[in-house]
Amino acid sequence: MQTITQMVAGAALAAGLAGAAAAETVAVITPYLAQPGTQFYVDGFEARAAELGWDVNVIDTAGDVGAVISRIEDVTTQGVDAIVLNADPAQVGAGLQTAADAGIPVVGMDAGSHPLVAANVTSNGYAMAAETAVYVANRIGGEGGVVMFVFDPFPPVQVRGVIADAVFANHPDIEVIDRITPDVSDGGIADSRAQMEAVLAANPDPGAIAAVWAAWDQPALGALQAIEAAGRGDEGIVITGIDANPQARDAIAQGGSFEASVAQDFAGIGAAAADTVARLLAGEELRQKVIYVPTELVTAANAGAE
Amino acid sequence: MRRLSLDGLSRRFGAVQALDAVSFGVEAGTVHALMGENGAGKSTLIRILSGLDRPGAGTVAVDGAPLPPGDPAAVQSAGIRVLHQELHVVPALSVAENMHLALPVPRRLGLVDWRRLNAAAAAALERLGLSRIAPAAPMGDLGPGDQMLVRIAATLIRPEGAAAPWLYVLDEPTAALTGAEAERLFAVLDELTGAGAGVLYVSHRMDEVMRLASRVTVLRDGAHVSTRPMADTSDARIIEEMTGRALSDLFPPRAGAAPGPVALSCAGLSAGPLRDAALEVRAGEILGLAGLAGSGRGALLRALMGALPRQAGTVRVGGRALGPGTAAAWAAGLAYVPRERRSEGLMMRRPVAENVALPHLTALARGRVFLDHARQRRLAESQGRDVALKAASVAQAVGDLSGGNQQKTLFARALAGAPRVLLLDEPTRGVDVGAKFDLYRLIRRLAGGGTAVILASSDLPEVLGLADRICVLRAGRLAQTVENDGLSEADLLTLCYGRDAA
Amino acid sequence: MSGIVRRFGSLIGMAAIVLFFAVSLPDTFLTARNWLNISQQISMLTVVAATMTVVMVMGDFDLSVGAMASLAGVIAAALFVAGWPVPVALASAVAVGLLGGIFNGVLVSVVGILPFVATLATLTVFSGLAFVVSDGRTVFGRDIPEGFAALARGGLPLGSADGRPLVLPNLTLIAAAVVAAVWVVLEQTSYGRRLAAIGGNAEAARLAGLPVTWLRLSAFAFTGAGAAVAGLMYASRVASANPTQGDGLMLTAIAAVFLGMTLTRGGQPRVLATLAGVVVLGVLDNGLTQMRVDSYVREVLVGAIILLAVGASALGRRSWRRQG
Repeated sequence: MQTITQMVAGAALAAGLAGAAAAETVAVITPYLAQPGTQFYVDGFEARAAELGWDVNVIDTAGDVGAVISRIEDVTTQGVDAIVLNADPAQVGAGLQTAADAGIPVVGMDAGSHPLVAANVTSNGYAMAAETAVYVANRIGGEGGVVMFVFDPFPPVQVRGVIADAVFANHPDIEVIDRITPDVSDGGIADSRAQMEAVLAANPDPGAIAAVWAAWDQPALGALQAIEAAGRGDEGIVITGIDANPQARDAIAQGGSFEASVAQDFAGIGAAAADTVARLLAGEELRQKVIYVPTELVTAANAGAE
Repeated sequence: MRRLSLDGLSRRFGAVQALDAVSFGVEAGTVHALMGENGAGKSTLIRILSGLDRPGAGTVAVDGAPLPPGDPAAVQSAGIRVLHQELHVVPALSVAENMHLALPVPRRLGLVDWRRLNAAAAAALERLGLSRIAPAAPMGDLGPGDQMLVRIAATLIRPEGAAAPWLYVLDEPTAALTGAEAERLFAVLDELTGAGAGVLYVSHRMDEVMRLASRVTVLRDGAHVSTRPMADTSDARIIEEMTGRALSDLFPPRAGAAPGPVALSCAGLSAGPLRDAALEVRAGEILGLAGLAGSGRGALLRALMGALPRQAGTVRVGGRALGPGTAAAWAAGLAYVPRERRSEGLMMRRPVAENVALPHLTALARGRVFLDHARQRRLAESQGRDVALKAASVAQAVGDLSGGNQQKTLFARALAGAPRVLLLDEPTRGVDVGAKFDLYRLIRRLAGGGTAVILASSDLPEVLGLADRICVLRAGRLAQTVENDGLSEADLLTLCYGRDAA
Repeated sequence: MSGIVRRFGSLIGMAAIVLFFAVSLPDTFLTARNWLNISQQISMLTVVAATMTVVMVMGDFDLSVGAMASLAGVIAAALFVAGWPVPVALASAVAVGLLGGIFNGVLVSVVGILPFVATLATLTVFSGLAFVVSDGRTVFGRDIPEGFAALARGGLPLGSADGRPLVLPNLTLIAAAVVAAVWVVLEQTSYGRRLAAIGGNAEAARLAGLPVTWLRLSAFAFTGAGAAVAGLMYASRVASANPTQGDGLMLTAIAAVFLGMTLTRGGQPRVLATLAGVVVLGVLDNGLTQMRVDSYVREVLVGAIILLAVGASALGRRSWRRQG
């Protein structure tokens, strides 16, 4: 038995040394690994890749988009079989071109669409934003002041803001009091809280603020802290986020002001990205350039479900 | 009577024999001077004595018992305190904290016991008559002189169970001090020797040594030349032993030629502490500036040079009015050797050549822009030869040279542009006797060649030995100008203090 | 022997790093394509670090370069959006860099604020301006003229390998030109030696008749313009501009200069040594990625190597002094 194992290992090693890839090598490149959502994609991807027997290399460029191009060039030189990208492809076109020239397929994992990306696997950001924005509009009966937290520099979050803008604009009695872009260098909670405190101070009357719509959870949590710290937790200000991270789920489950968020199936996106890579490696031509993975509205009713 | 004996101390650094079988003894209750030019081996000896370096051969013993080599703690517990030349103080901490830097801090319940800490400091300061210094004051608020005195006072603090110090080793303690500060130091030394302690006093300054020491040891080129009671020797003899040259040679004779036309003049000049100064200096003349510390000697030179903004008055060089700023001054033919060569003069880590070329870069450049390294090197080499600079090459970092050769580098820089007027601020400060002699000869030769020289110095023999005329400054004003003809040191000092010459 | 190690230890270490990758990645590392890639990857950092060297020669430094790079990128993008021709937009962005640098210079040399404080403040100002100009958005896609994006993708054809063309990238050429210009200015002109003199002893330089205020001001202008050029290179490479994209350049550029300083006698900043520092950082990123070293471990390794080099050279200098 032991001899057989050794023989198998030896054969695998010999194959590796001969350069004939025994396993497919796939590089996952992202500037955003430190963000919690990204970690779930990567975990989902790695789990599926392990089932498929792939050799996965996860590369993080710590926020530097230019370095993503450099790392695409490096793994192209290294000769990987496929690249999974978690960055805006419009910004890394030079790297995508390098990979395309070398015939290496690139799959987007919540990245964005691009002619050189075989397919992008993502949640429907428009739909998610519509769900929470409509939730807010319905909960406040179509009237009152709303504070928005957005982040336009990051395209997937930018589209959420666009939809929420449209939903609120469509209710004549909803007034957007402030549209805040928080400083996200520390995750976004602290600065959002500070910004929300300022808004609360500027709008001291109970009921002046009917709701806070945040394009992702961290600002929603910051706003929640500010509202509770100001002793205005009982005013019925409705807060929603998007992404349903664990901290947000906790807050929603407690039944306070933070009422709803939308859960992206990050692990599902990662797994679907792996499946997409597998289809490409099998030689399949993909017709659908964007592959959506379903999302779920999280409220007090199902917050503890995960 | 306690006694320190050094027996056969030797130390080599590569090819250099820094110390060669040096033996002498130092006794408690006296001031023992250690003299020698730069490179004579004084610093090496102090390092070995304080346990920072190990001798190649020989022993250091206290009362006959040899100390383990290279062990600073053993030196401490043998009752010896070494105060190195550099001021090791922490400006942001209080006087009392600085005094406890090397000592266990008094504690109560594990926390610093500030009351006892300050009381110990105050008691030590009190013993030296320094009660005007508050233990809680930040060290950085004190002048360099008081900082030195505080460091001495710190050695009087005795942690429980430790031996009282009986021997103080002071390495060039007055190098950074003003005259008044030095006086206070001397008073403290009297206090210490009066209480039975000994002092090993390392200094370049002949007048201090003559005044303080009862015995003197001279080193030359790492070898022990002599140890004598002060009564059996003289300043002339000590200098001869240090240099191998007689004292009478120190100031070369004047050329005696008649001075030429006025090279530089100023009128109504006010800048910094200086008020309404007027003077003129002729080609080939050496004009001395004398005055007490703070009288404005240095400020006058800096104002002439444009380094101190001129609030009023005019400066003329060769009859033409001089514009503001140092660049205009160099361009007009002034050259300046500043007082502090480390902080104001030299780029210590850069080669000699770059240091010499610094004010002349445009003139040396091709098309006034592109460097000509070869020309720069040739200039430094020829200027270096001219001032008798001793360096391995002009590519050597200036910080690796002795104090005298650093000063010569500054002279080489000043003279490279063949200046019309040379401004010298304390030109031989911290320079050994041999280099002093070279510089005096150089200054004389320049004057003989038609350069006008203005020499500001606190070293009265220097002013008297070199100057043709002497301007005396008092409290920012040019009080008096006298011909240097038969003046004695006492006469000049009297003028400086503001009484008429006898 | 120990003297050689002390003097050239850093250089030997850097050569060892290259050798290690050459052995570990025999098929891909020492190829023309890979080195052309590296040269392009480090081109922006090269420009920032080379012009940073100009102020570091004086003993100053400029923390605002990263923010200025970001600002220059979004200004060019905003001008593209407003329909300005590409060359005019680029020249304007570089002019803004020059002005920002002059502003830094005035704060440091005329007003007399410490460079750390002054440029930390302008870092925030420039970064804020970048957000104001861009409205916090990433400008990309149709708003970026094809000609501008093509700049970073183009280059001088050098032939081909494995059936794909080999190209000397335009960004590499720009970086080489900047390094050459900085080298001439710092090493071959009296202006450069005057800056070095300020670094050697600012008071001595003033007393020797150097216009210290003006020199410092002009050096900061140089660095500001260099940061803007790097920002435009970055924007061209990512075919987009956002208000934070150049921020990471500052710390890495300072690290590269420090790494370079370990190569020079007396530990002085020199531009070719800086270039060597940049190359080492670039080679580490490239080689460790190809060896599939975890990204975070890669950062730890890079930091450790910087510490090792700087620490070893500090120790070397100290033991040298003790003998002297």
